[in-house]
Amino acid sequence: MLASLGSRTASATLRPLRGAADAAAWVGTNLEQRALDRLLEGKELERVLDSPRVHAVITRVLNSPGAARAIDELFDSGLIDRLFDRLLTTDALWHLVDVIAGSPAVTAAISQQGLGFADQVGEQVRTRSTQADDWLERAVARVLHPRLTTAPAQANSDTP
Amino acid sequence: MTSATGAVVDNESPPDVAAPTRYAGLVTRAVAFVIDAALIDLVATIVAVAAALVGALFHFPKNLHTLWIVLGVTAYVLWSAGYFIVFWSTTGQTPGARVMQIRVVSSSGGPLRPFRSLVRAIGVVLATLPLCLGYVPVLFDGRRRALPDYLARTLVVSAPQLSLAQVQRGRMRARKLASQPPAKPA
Repeated sequence: MLASLGSRTASATLRPLRGAADAAAWVGTNLEQRALDRLLEGKELERVLDSPRVHAVITRVLNSPGAARAIDELFDSGLIDRLFDRLLTTDALWHLVDVIAGSPAVTAAISQQGLGFADQVGEQVRTRSTQADDWLERAVARVLHPRLTTAPAQANSDTP
Repeated sequence: MTSATGAVVDNESPPDVAAPTRYAGLVTRAVAFVIDAALIDLVATIVAVAAALVGALFHFPKNLHTLWIVLGVTAYVLWSAGYFIVFWSTTGQTPGARVMQIRVVSSSGGPLRPFRSLVRAIGVVLATLPLCLGYVPVLFDGRRRALPDYLARTLVVSAPQLSLAQVQRGRMRARKLASQPPAKPA
């Protein structure tokens, strides 16, 4: 009986205090939200990010041995392995692989790789035949016009 | 790029950017023709052997032999002519021409119509029959034209294969040129 009376008294005493704490928390949250909104709406954030000092700090951090250590630790932690394991089970990744495999750039690269030897032979044959074309025409021109020794192939190209 | 003979050849320019055109010479044409002839004969041989093997299973009267020969020759002529006509009027390049990176175009630089391709095919036969004498004008003509080219009013030009990156670069260059304001008259 006495204990319940004490508890009720304590509760009644603390009620205004709890209300004040709740109000303070609400005001704090509200202030934080307003500050964030202001920061996002205003141009201060862009100005800060564009400043050369921030760039210098970022560059210094990235070049520091601590950054390299952090990356090493990230890989050692197994998080990356887990990330890739998870990635390999997603449909989106395989869809991406399909899209890349079917892209004209990749198919062209594969077919070019497959025809490497034939291409080399073809290139040689083309070069030799072009030289033979010019040589033959020079020879004919020399026989027909012994005085003119300039290459006739000069005339065999023009702008359409 | 300058060729061995001094002929200016721009291999990097795509077709939509005006570049000096190089005409295919006698040897290049001959090599392309040999490749095409090998392909035509290879296919014809395979088909003839297959037809002979199938025919061996059946008994045909002896007086049909002449008919088979006539049919075979007709099929061969149609196949050979069709080969050139279809390739010239679609891509302008037969497989042999593709290997040698040359292309048959009309005198205006556009693709060939089937009728002109047919005329050119007849021209090829006419030029080849008298010991290939119909190709001799290539050595003298400024645009390296042979009898089939005179008959069908065509040209055989160099058509270098461009990589995707080169094509893209050429398109960007052409777009840039098109977007530039025209030069003011002096």
